[in-house]
Amino acid sequence: MPATIIHHHPSSYRDPSGFIFEKNGILYRQVNKVFKEHFDFFIASGCYEKLVKKDWLIAHETVTENLTGDEQWYATLKPERLSFISYPYEWSFDMLKDAALLTLAILKESLASGMILKDATPYNIQWHTGKLVFIDSLSFEKYDETVPWIAYRQFCENFLSPLLLAHYSRMPLQEMMLAYSEGIPLAVTKSLLPWWTKFSIHTYLHIHLHAKYSIKNPSSQTGKNTAFSKKKLLNLVASLEGLITKLKLPESKSTWSDYYDEASQRTDYLEHKRTIIQRWLEKIKPVATAADLGANTGEFSKLMASKNIQTIASDFDPNCINALYNEIKKNGEKNIVPIIIDFSKPSPAIGVNNEERDSFIKRTHVDLALALALIHHLAIGKNIPLEKIADLFQKLCNYLIIEFVPKQDEKIKLMLTGKKDIYTAYKEENFLSAFQQYFSVLEKETIAGSERTIYLMKKNEA
Amino acid sequence: MLHHLVYIDPGSGSFLVQAITAAVLGVVFFFRNIRMYIKSIFTRTPKKQDDNNPSA
Repeated sequence: MPATIIHHHPSSYRDPSGFIFEKNGILYRQVNKVFKEHFDFFIASGCYEKLVKKDWLIAHETVTENLTGDEQWYATLKPERLSFISYPYEWSFDMLKDAALLTLAILKESLASGMILKDATPYNIQWHTGKLVFIDSLSFEKYDETVPWIAYRQFCENFLSPLLLAHYSRMPLQEMMLAYSEGIPLAVTKSLLPWWTKFSIHTYLHIHLHAKYSIKNPSSQTGKNTAFSKKKLLNLVASLEGLITKLKLPESKSTWSDYYDEASQRTDYLEHKRTIIQRWLEKIKPVATAADLGANTGEFSKLMASKNIQTIASDFDPNCINALYNEIKKNGEKNIVPIIIDFSKPSPAIGVNNEERDSFIKRTHVDLALALALIHHLAIGKNIPLEKIADLFQKLCNYLIIEFVPKQDEKIKLMLTGKKDIYTAYKEENFLSAFQQYFSVLEKETIAGSERTIYLMKKNEA
Repeated sequence: MLHHLVYIDPGSGSFLVQAITAAVLGVVFFFRNIRMYIKSIFTRTPKKQDDNNPSA
């Protein structure tokens, strides 16, 4: 038998109950013998079935074979494949809030089946066919009523802290989750929250008091002598739920809200752009996956999605992505993954050996990338040379639809007010030569009602 | 005890603080329930949230 290579997933090392591995391009989850009792109960109690039925947990098939040949093997699961992995530092406020509420809802549901969630991290939640779902089927263990919730602090640091900080500062702070990727320490949250939050009983208990007791003191950390019960745990969950439900991020008047006013004045331009893209899509089909780079509120992502193309809608503006998320949630749109990405600094690789969470570039490879009205933001807004922009885009896609915004465009004039024009290299011919290092131009058109041009490019074979 | 599988640090003192927090919440919810009960005598009960949508 030919040897097949088994890759342990680099983010799956913490929990001794099992691990994720890849074999022949398929992802599996191994359940280890040590977790047998809990896993069997998870299935037998009907907990798994209930959660899958509600669309809260990803479904899996059971594979009878021991694919790893490991002594520890008890069972192999083949979960439904996710089309794209995203991380909480790429999510908008309402996405994190919904992920927090989902975690609590799953905890309550599992308690009803005599089980409990042994961890509470947003990394266990992923975007799958239009909604956030829980992906770790080894997070459930038999519930012992006398023991407090093991993941309580993890929940407070990973969900409650960032949500409270964003709520009280009225700022989208998803980048803080990148700095504190294992959760914002309670002491940090406590020191950053306004002092008067101490007078909100729920915030006081979960953050201020909690932080005070979290100072390392081994003698006080044993669970012994702390009388606990299911009723108490349900009170704790109800308190967290009530608190989180009330948190919100005020919609700031940002790029996205201006978008509609502006778009309504430029219907010709947008309509023509839409017609061109639709024509080109026919030309290069089949397109299964796309990334809308600088998606704004996702007008063109929605066009892709309507053609049944799995689309990553990314923008640096958290308000745009939040608005898009809420729209997707309301309309039940299944083909769009909304994420916050700043293309001048896409998410890096982080974690153990820098392998635990992949960079945005490593995670993203699509059939088609759209970069509409984006290039001037990078080249002029962020001083990034055209060659570097071309290099970024060629790492992401096979086909590229890109709009070039000339310097005489009023948007660029606006960007250059009060700024010295050092962008002598920003010309269409230089743009073309930079991109032609990697791509061949298939089509070119000028968009009506503007001086902007749009290109369809195909990546050259390596 | 099921603790042989515990791989995350429950947080020094997190168990203790959880016991205290839960006890305080017991009192908070006790009074809230009384308040809600009195309120419900005068008003209709609000409709239940959608079962399949925890964030609704």
